[in-house]
Amino acid sequence: MTRAPLHNFSGRTAIVLHRSEEIGQRIKARCDRLGVRALVCTGDLSASLAETADMLILDIDTADDGMLPWPNGAAPVPVIGLVGSESPGRLAWALRQELDAFLPLSALGNLFSALVVGHEVFARKSETRARAAELARRSSGRLDVIRAVLALMEEGRDEALALKKLRAMAMVEQISLEDAARRLLAKRRAIRGGAS
Amino acid sequence: MSLRLGLIFSTTGSYAALGQSALAGALGAIETLQKAGAPEITPVIADPGGDIAEYERLTRSLLDDGVRHILGAITSSSRKEMIPLLEQRGGLLWYPCPYEGFESNDHVVYLGAAPNHHVVPVTDWIAAQGMRRAFLVGSNYVWGWETLRLARDCLQTHGVKIVGERYVPLGSTRHDHVLDEVCSRDVECVVDSLIGPSNTTFLQGLAARDPARVGRPGHVVSFNQTEADLDDLGAAANGLLSAGSLFEEDAGAQLKTAARRHAPNGRVSSFLSTAYAAVEIIAEALVRAGTEDPKAMFKSACSAPVATAMGPVSIDPVLRHAELRPCLSLAEDGHFRVVERMDRPIPADPYLTSRVANPIHRKPVLRIIQ
Repeated sequence: MTRAPLHNFSGRTAIVLHRSEEIGQRIKARCDRLGVRALVCTGDLSASLAETADMLILDIDTADDGMLPWPNGAAPVPVIGLVGSESPGRLAWALRQELDAFLPLSALGNLFSALVVGHEVFARKSETRARAAELARRSSGRLDVIRAVLALMEEGRDEALALKKLRAMAMVEQISLEDAARRLLAKRRAIRGGAS
Repeated sequence: MSLRLGLIFSTTGSYAALGQSALAGALGAIETLQKAGAPEITPVIADPGGDIAEYERLTRSLLDDGVRHILGAITSSSRKEMIPLLEQRGGLLWYPCPYEGFESNDHVVYLGAAPNHHVVPVTDWIAAQGMRRAFLVGSNYVWGWETLRLARDCLQTHGVKIVGERYVPLGSTRHDHVLDEVCSRDVECVVDSLIGPSNTTFLQGLAARDPARVGRPGHVVSFNQTEADLDDLGAAANGLLSAGSLFEEDAGAQLKTAARRHAPNGRVSSFLSTAYAAVEIIAEALVRAGTEDPKAMFKSACSAPVATAMGPVSIDPVLRHAELRPCLSLAEDGHFRVVERMDRPIPADPYLTSRVANPIHRKPVLRIIQ
């Protein structure tokens, strides 16, 4: 199912991290138009303040890893980078942090677009990460699939029929093949344990 | 104290009727204010003829000539064409038309209806009539896309089924395939975001195909149909419901005089009345600010409501949009009859932040039926 990008940010809180109070206030005025509550922060971001945020808007000219209370690229909320000087080093930092969207300081009027893009990129990134984690978890179960096929072959099936049986079990339970294998092996161990 | 006001309206071309109506309002207000001894406003009239490239050329030429304030642009594409130049040269556009929202530019004042003034009340009305099957048809550009996207969203929230959605190229007058669909699918309400000749030919085609539906109030709804080009539709408009910030029925003597003296069709429309009110707001802002500097004038326009021929108008200094009292009207034999009036001015909500955000997706409740 395709998901429409989020475009209503009303009631959400944005932390605006910028050394300049004036620019912070300009961004706050823009946030007001979108129903977003902006908290302007001119110093480092504390972990407790970060927890209240639904998104972060920061100045990539002055930001550094130490300002953010999470490891590189692991922000728990969408992060929008304000582009000022365009120096390659600062852009490289922003890319290392895997910022979700960029907004030139000269184009603050386009904050809405940056929020839509940022939230969508963040959502896709989260989905990709979840998928990668699931694939890693499943590939770690390959040995169990082989063990389960061998166990089913002990009942007189060939390997193709054994795999088919395992697939059918996965389908009925609506779980992955690897999880079905783990479940089958656990059940057999339990039976064997109970019998001894 | 005086001010040169650019009036960039397409009074020729495919949507000439709307441009003529708006220009008539502006000229009527300038005339009235002059008689009343208000600061002199000198109109600088330019006609882009509905050609998008001409908007850019004429805007540039006016701004280069020292004009700081422009009243004009009908379509969103023309407004978006003018904005970069206004930004570069520090001009201010007073925009008097209904539009699809999602904009709040520092060089524009939005005086026409925003989506919460047109799409939201119209779709609420459809649902309140108990209609359950709607068809969406629009011109293939930003107005059609955005109004129908929102209409779909609002109607589905109300449980109205969208049985079809079609877009036709700008200017296209061949609608057989769309009419086939509408007439074969038991459509109670056609949501119409077509513009110009496409709109006229579609409504006439629909009335010819299915004459019975024309008698049903609200069998077609529009978010921007006005008296400016209602006569073009003839009897095909009967039963059409439209939203607007003012319909002719509510017009006072000033607007009627402006229409009589300046509008080729002699009629008051929301384009005419909003352009009229825009000039009154500009004149008042000039007096309050004491300078024609766009920033200062915008600030003074927002400082207190301005009395206009449409009633007092307040402008939100943050969102830069006017508060309006939208009405819903039904077309009957060449006139609009107001069927619903808002009891108070409604602040514009161009980003629709007051609508319930982000529907929560719940798993369907499954149960076994024996």
